[in-house]
Amino acid sequence: MDCFSELTYTIFADGELAAEEARQVRSHLTACARCRELVETLRAENRVLKEVLGELPQEAGERVGLPWFRRSWVWGDLALVTAMLALGAAVLQWFDERRVPAGLEWLNPFSSAGGMNLIFNLTYYFGHGGAAVLTHYADIMGWLALLGLLASSAVLLGRRWGRSRSGLCLLTVVLALSLPSIALERRHSEFVTVAANETVDDSLVAAGNTVRIEGVVNGDLLAFGRTVEVSGTVKGDLVSWAQRTEVRGIVEGHIYTFSQSLDVGGQVGRSIYAWVQSLRVDDKGHVGDGIVAGAADVGLEGNVMRSVTVFAGSADVSGSIGRDLTMAGGNLTLANSARVGGNLTARVRRQEEVRIAEGTTIGGKRDIKVQVQTTRFAHPKFYFFQAVWLLAAMLVGWLGLVLFPGFFQGTTQAVGAGWRSVGLGFAVLVGTPVVMIVGAATLVGIPLVLMLLALYLAAIYLAKVWVGAFLGKILLKRGTATTRDWLLDLLVGLLIITVAGFIPYVGGLIRFAVVCLGLGALAWELYRASRPAATI
Amino acid sequence: MEELELETVLELARGHDAEAFAELYRRYARRVFGLCRYLLGSAETAEDATSEVFLKLQRSIGTYDGSVPFPSWLLRVASNHCIDALRRKQRERRVIGEAEADKASIEVAGPGPSPLSEIISAEQQAAIRQAITRLPENYRVPLVLRYYTDLGYDEIAKRLGLKRDHVAVLLFRAKRELRQVLASGKE
Repeated sequence: MDCFSELTYTIFADGELAAEEARQVRSHLTACARCRELVETLRAENRVLKEVLGELPQEAGERVGLPWFRRSWVWGDLALVTAMLALGAAVLQWFDERRVPAGLEWLNPFSSAGGMNLIFNLTYYFGHGGAAVLTHYADIMGWLALLGLLASSAVLLGRRWGRSRSGLCLLTVVLALSLPSIALERRHSEFVTVAANETVDDSLVAAGNTVRIEGVVNGDLLAFGRTVEVSGTVKGDLVSWAQRTEVRGIVEGHIYTFSQSLDVGGQVGRSIYAWVQSLRVDDKGHVGDGIVAGAADVGLEGNVMRSVTVFAGSADVSGSIGRDLTMAGGNLTLANSARVGGNLTARVRRQEEVRIAEGTTIGGKRDIKVQVQTTRFAHPKFYFFQAVWLLAAMLVGWLGLVLFPGFFQGTTQAVGAGWRSVGLGFAVLVGTPVVMIVGAATLVGIPLVLMLLALYLAAIYLAKVWVGAFLGKILLKRGTATTRDWLLDLLVGLLIITVAGFIPYVGGLIRFAVVCLGLGALAWELYRASRPAATI
Repeated sequence: MEELELETVLELARGHDAEAFAELYRRYARRVFGLCRYLLGSAETAEDATSEVFLKLQRSIGTYDGSVPFPSWLLRVASNHCIDALRRKQRERRVIGEAEADKASIEVAGPGPSPLSEIISAEQQAAIRQAITRLPENYRVPLVLRYYTDLGYDEIAKRLGLKRDHVAVLLFRAKRELRQVLASGKE
């Protein structure tokens, strides 16, 4: 009989030859010593291959399992964490010693001057195009986002529970029909004016380039615009977000404002709460209660019946304050016409920054303290709160891992997608508030919006947990899936994120990127989880 | 947990016990990593794949019915995962190309010493492992599935979407390639 091919003998040695052919081969082998020897060699080869492959590649011991590492993980990792803390402290100390030239502070978006500049430039940008543009844009985007979200939820859920589809469609329609239902009087146009002979009986929400109240608003006034001017009467509170807010008339309630400048030359029945760049109460201005303000420049020329508390770069007082004046910040000047009925308390950096003219009347005590500016990193309290923050995040991470192990680890893994996660996260971060605003304008939408808000805030908090765990995993070079290792990765990652978050200038960006990454990973994992589980 | 029977650990894992998964990981991660390392060709990718396999395991542990031993089942899950990864990586061309029986395979064979059947020392074993990892993908994958995961020709064919005969030819060629590489290394 002829010999068989080497391929046939290879298949035979593997035990994979069909029964009949195998029988023929066996019969040939009894007669052919040469072929018998070949088959023996092939079988020996198979044994060697199995044996060799049974021994794992060298890296297997180094990368996975690592019995020695497992036994002593505490010491190794503690050493690593300590080293990182020491390095972080050294880096922070170095950064803290750097000083940005004062002239460039306005460029720094993380300083108060730079932040204010940025915010009001943005506000002006929208104001200049008419706030209506923004409102319309938000309306359209919100509508689209809400409908898109509802439709995709309906499809997604409908796919899983076919019967609930009709109910969800009904809900979508009800939500869509109930959108315009706000009870306040709303006005928005380029110029919103309440004329001198006009009275608005309700509260008024006004948005426009210029909002001017010459008549009477019997309720509160909520005004958004480039300029908000009250020369008439507002019987309730004035809430404003504007580049310039000016009160020449009467506001009987409080003023709450976030503006670049607030000028009060009229009567304010209650208090002023302001976060502004410049606050001025001129000599005709009268505040029935007190003032609490954060401002770069404060000028008080009029009368304030009760106490004034300001955090200001510079404060000039030449008017009258019925009770205490408390000031913290840069410099304080009291002119000789100034009168403070109660105590004067000032916290400044240098003694000479407080100037009190000779004729100034101060009824109570003078308490002027020079505060040596110390870095927050020098306070033990700072480290205590950071430790609490870290522990809380660890606890949340652990709970999440115990309750939803697959989901938490999947989300951690999804962080690794990088730009996909950042882009998706940014869309979620920006899109969700828009959806919530539109949803809140409906009656039935409000409970859903509250739930969405809670989820949104929780997700923003959890973002750092997932990013931290991912970062730790990358740094510790682990392909592990145990709870303990996951938590250790989390600890290392969170420490790095925390330290990085305190770096001047880029720290804010790092925190923002962490939130985007985490939200993106969450969105991706939710999408993945909503699909039918992959078969393996 | 370490001294528990595998059955008990699996039962706990089915109830989504994190410690049970940790124990399964401790017991089998090296085997899974080894397979992924051979199939995927790089330690970094293998490391990621190992993590993914164990993540997948958390979702799919409920589908394990005990009809095959757990380690074999897990290795099959891992090999599927790696094959999917390879396919994704090179979607344009077929990962494991069709192979035709060539001249050498149908020639009548002659016996002779094979470097594959001879060498046994640890150093030489390492040389074989290295040679395997350097094999072209279409030879390496069936070889590893056959001798690491212990899969039969039919099962390999099914997983790779090939005919049974082609699997036989690929294995034959893989071994021939190994012999040549090792023989040239010895010279």
